[in-house]
Amino acid sequence: MTTVSIIRNSMSRRLALGLAAALLATPALFGGAQAGSMDEIKTRGLIVATEDDFRPFEFVKDGKATGFDNELIEDMRKSAPFEIKQQILPWTGILAGVSTGKYDAAITAVIITKERLASLEFTSPIADATHFYLKRKGDKSISSIKDLNGKTVGVQAGSAMLARLPELSAMLEKEGGKLGKVVEYTSYPEAYQDLALGRVDYVVNTVINLQTLVVEKPGTFELGQAVSGKSYPAWAVAKGNTELLNFLNGFIAKEKESGRFAELQKKWFGDSFPNLPTKWDPEF
Amino acid sequence: MSWGDLLAILQGAVVTVTLSFAGILIGSPIGLALAVVRWADVPIAARVVAVYVSILRATPLVTLLLLLFFALPNIGIAVDPISAAILGLVMSTAAFNCEVWRASLMNFPKDQYEAAQSVGMNATLRFRRILLPQIARASLPGLVNEMSLLIKVTPALAVVGVVDITRAAVRIGAETYDPLPPFLVAIALYAPIVFLLVLLQRWIERRQIRVEAA
Repeated sequence: MTTVSIIRNSMSRRLALGLAAALLATPALFGGAQAGSMDEIKTRGLIVATEDDFRPFEFVKDGKATGFDNELIEDMRKSAPFEIKQQILPWTGILAGVSTGKYDAAITAVIITKERLASLEFTSPIADATHFYLKRKGDKSISSIKDLNGKTVGVQAGSAMLARLPELSAMLEKEGGKLGKVVEYTSYPEAYQDLALGRVDYVVNTVINLQTLVVEKPGTFELGQAVSGKSYPAWAVAKGNTELLNFLNGFIAKEKESGRFAELQKKWFGDSFPNLPTKWDPEF
Repeated sequence: MSWGDLLAILQGAVVTVTLSFAGILIGSPIGLALAVVRWADVPIAARVVAVYVSILRATPLVTLLLLLFFALPNIGIAVDPISAAILGLVMSTAAFNCEVWRASLMNFPKDQYEAAQSVGMNATLRFRRILLPQIARASLPGLVNEMSLLIKVTPALAVVGVVDITRAAVRIGAETYDPLPPFLVAIALYAPIVFLLVLLQRWIERRQIRVEAA
């Protein structure tokens, strides 16, 4: 009798589990993105999501959000005709939140990729995000790209850097080598730490992030060469939210015109990237 | 690490403690209610509880939180990070607490209950005077165990934007590029929080022994 009841129990459990999952998933699948229209934003405010551990774009210093994007948000607060509500959270939830309509815009360095264009739209690029590799200071086994053959690489999970690794793989194969083991981290600080500890041999990230790191820790890390073609980060909104996209692009254009954009880029990235395109169609 | 950084981690500690205790204070009684429903074999409800407990015990907290945080607005319910965090903790811990309570309920001697019935105690009185004091004592070690686990899963709450001890430490590491000092501070903070809980458990147990001896 017990056996029978256990089986029946587990079957009904499975059924209930399936039903519960379906119930929760249905609106997510068919409801689609409920990105706020401009009228809605004017009444309830613009909800933007930013990261908290992505120096120099956004990070927290002494409990206060700072960095390139946060200074721009401050500027936007002064000029926008509506309230701006900011949510600070780890990278993991940001794009999901924007595409489900929880946040109106991701004001962080989201690298424009073909895959992301399926569910998001991007503003004008805010910086250059060509990918470089980073190695331990004084690691003599790596002096050019072909030395990366078979070595362990660290990247952030779900990042564009991870998606662009096939490019590096192709570069290595041309030289008769191949891409080594790929280790994925929740965020970059852990990857850097593991590089310093010798658990990975190099880390791939954008030139800006790596340059800032090397300036801060010149005794530990050393910047390598570019491992990707052109690549740009921008702010992201849900697909179809053209009104908001136009507003953000207008804001960026104004900041560029006044020279404020270049000033902030110089302050946080050490370079003002004067030749950024206003629109970018990614190859990858 | 500056004093400001230390202060940020301490603020994280306040968040960790507040959310954990909110989760415990709301989740434990709900767990007890769920256990009683199963133990009394309430038609339909007992089955629903069994299914709920099985699903929640199989769901990682991070996954549950992401689902609550991003799926609820889709069906028209707005949730902010703190409410999503408390809701997630309560839903999860209630399921585990339910099983701890149920274990002591199942071991409760039936004759005591029947004796109370025979002297004319009503159900509420039976529960309050006879059942609860005894199952609470039997459940205490299991409940405290679950509570300490709950405190230690709070870093998962960071995924929706809650800044607990660990997230505050991660932020400092990302700013200074030197993650070890903030992590050491973080670990040094979790230990006393959990230890306080254990002290509380010992104090309750000693008090019970004294009450019984008297």
